[in-house]
Order: sequence, then structure tokens, then C-alpha cells
Amino acid sequence: MAVREILLYPDPILKTVCTPVAEIDRETDALVQDLLDTMIDSGHSVGVAAPQIGVTRRVVVVDVSKSKLGRDNNHGQLVLINPEILEREGQEMTREGCMSVPDYTGNVTRASSIVVQFLDRQGQERAIHADGFEAVAIQHELDHLDGLLFLDRVSSLKTDVFRRKTR
Amino acid sequence: MSHFALTIIGRDRPGIVSQVTEILYQLGCNIADSSCSLLGGQFAMILIVSQQEFSSKDDFGDAFTPLEESGLSVFVRTLKPGGEQHPALEGEITMISVYGADKPGIVYRVTRALGERQVNITDLNTKLVGSKERPVYVMMLEALLPAGVAEKDLTTAMKGLSEELQVDITVRTITPVEL
Repeated sequence: MAVREILLYPDPILKTVCTPVAEIDRETDALVQDLLDTMIDSGHSVGVAAPQIGVTRRVVVVDVSKSKLGRDNNHGQLVLINPEILEREGQEMTREGCMSVPDYTGNVTRASSIVVQFLDRQGQERAIHADGFEAVAIQHELDHLDGLLFLDRVSSLKTDVFRRKTR
Repeated sequence: MSHFALTIIGRDRPGIVSQVTEILYQLGCNIADSSCSLLGGQFAMILIVSQQEFSSKDDFGDAFTPLEESGLSVFVRTLKPGGEQHPALEGEITMISVYGADKPGIVYRVTRALGERQVNITDLNTKLVGSKERPVYVMMLEALLPAGVAEKDLTTAMKGLSEELQVDITVRTITPVEL
């Protein structure tokens, strides 16, 4: 149980394709707890992927229930192990930022609704249908597992990357 | 270390950016923020550059002469200390899009309404599209709403302008999210 430091680009771990979790053991559970602790500690974050804390395993946590955009439509706190998106539908654009790429935001177009299959913290097979901001957040975190940052997804050149407004 | 703002503009052709940046590289200049775009038939480059040893724009000497000789216009502005730094901008990001039949005063009237309310424009693009006979003017801008100006005040002001100028105006706030 620990709040871990968020790695910043250009750390090469952020560009690494992560490996699946073979077994839900004590080590996996500790990783999940660290991810949750780190997400909660950062206050403003709605998700953290394992590579962001330096672990190249396919695990992310997402919780949009505390955010303005997601509080009315969400599955609460999600732990997604070996997640896979089975279906995508629609598209929506979000001005995304990332804790691993400070000071920049960009317009990213993603599916507006998805079906994602994963193992939960107990190792149970699950599949959920997520839409709106929760779907966007899940897709952003899952990209981290393939070494992709939102900068790889910015949809058009013209005015898509802006400096983030100062918090 | 000094910072300079460099503006280079000229008729578009392949190779302008490399021609400019080769000179900057050889001068030992670092490019920080920059924006380069094709406007009409002109390619326009605006760059903030720094150079460790330069103290005034005279230090560039005749380095840009080859650019001038190839038909590009070059303008150098020496920045005062701190002028290279992005100011801390506060406010809600708002995107305003305006489009309609082309007529004089669209940009002026919309931006005057923003200026009067201390709304700071951070990005603005305009483009003339459509046919020669029926030109359509499109303007997209991003601005920061200061505390005390609500989105609905702006929407109301823009609605008035929309009727007066007979153009379509959309105002929407953008919430950046950190994921």
C-alpha cells in the first residue's frame, strides 16, 4: 500500500507494450492497491495505468464517479486486469490531458461507448458496457498498456494541442 | 540568454521550413513555441527562439539574407526578459465558432464584444471558404472567460450579434480533463 510516483514522458516505460497478468496473486493485489492509492492521492485523477507507476503489467484503475463529467454515469471504482475492448461505437471528442505529460492538453476523438472485458481484483471474468466520459477514461488508460499516449491520438494538427490552463 | 520572436512569411513552396531551421540550427538558436501555417498562398512562420550568447537582434548579422533573397520576409523582435514565458492564464476555456456569408466586420464585432468583457483570446483562425460567388466566412476562436463572466452572458451577447450580422455563432465551454 503506497502512493507511487507518476512517471513522466520521456520515460521509456511509458512507451512499452505491457505484458498480461498471469495470475491474480499477492503481487497483483499489491499493484492494484498502489494504483488505487496513487489515483486517490492525486485527487484530480480519474485513472492510473500500471506503466505510469513503472510496472509494465496490463492493469489499470478507473473511477470517474468523483469527476464533474462522469459522476452521473459510471460503474464506480473499476479495477481492470488484462482488459480488452470488445466493441466500440460512436465517437466523441474530449480535451484530454495526462499526468504523465504535464502542461499539455489535446483534442482526442474516441469511441463514445465501449464494451470492455477484464478480470476484476478478485480474478473474476467481467464485461461491462461503459459510455460517455467513463468510456473515454477507460480507453485513455488502456492506451497506456500499449505504450500509447494521448499525443499519439490527437486528431488534427491545426489547433489540437494547447497549453493547459494553469491550475 | 536572449529570446527573440521571429516572423517569416513568403509565397509557399516546399523547403521553406528546412531553409529557415537550418539557419537557426547553425546560429545555435533553440526553437521553443512556434506556429507555422499556410494562409492563402503564403506560408507564415512565427517562432520564439533563444540563443545563449546573443544580446540583441544585431547579433543575427546577415544570417537571414539568403531567406530575403529567396523571396521571404523576415522580422525579428527582441523579447524583454520574461517575454518568452507563457503567462498564468485563468479562466474557463470557451470555444466560439462563427460562420456565415462573408461581410465586413465579422471579426471586429465579435472580438470587440469579447474585449469589452475582458475575455482573453488565446487562439483564432479564420478562413474564407465556399465559391467565389458565394463566399462563406468561418472563424474559430478559443478564449478564456474571466471570473465574473458567465458562459450565458457571452451566449446572450453573441446571440445579439448573430441576429445583427446574420451569421451563425456557437459558444461552448471546453473542460479539459486530466486522465
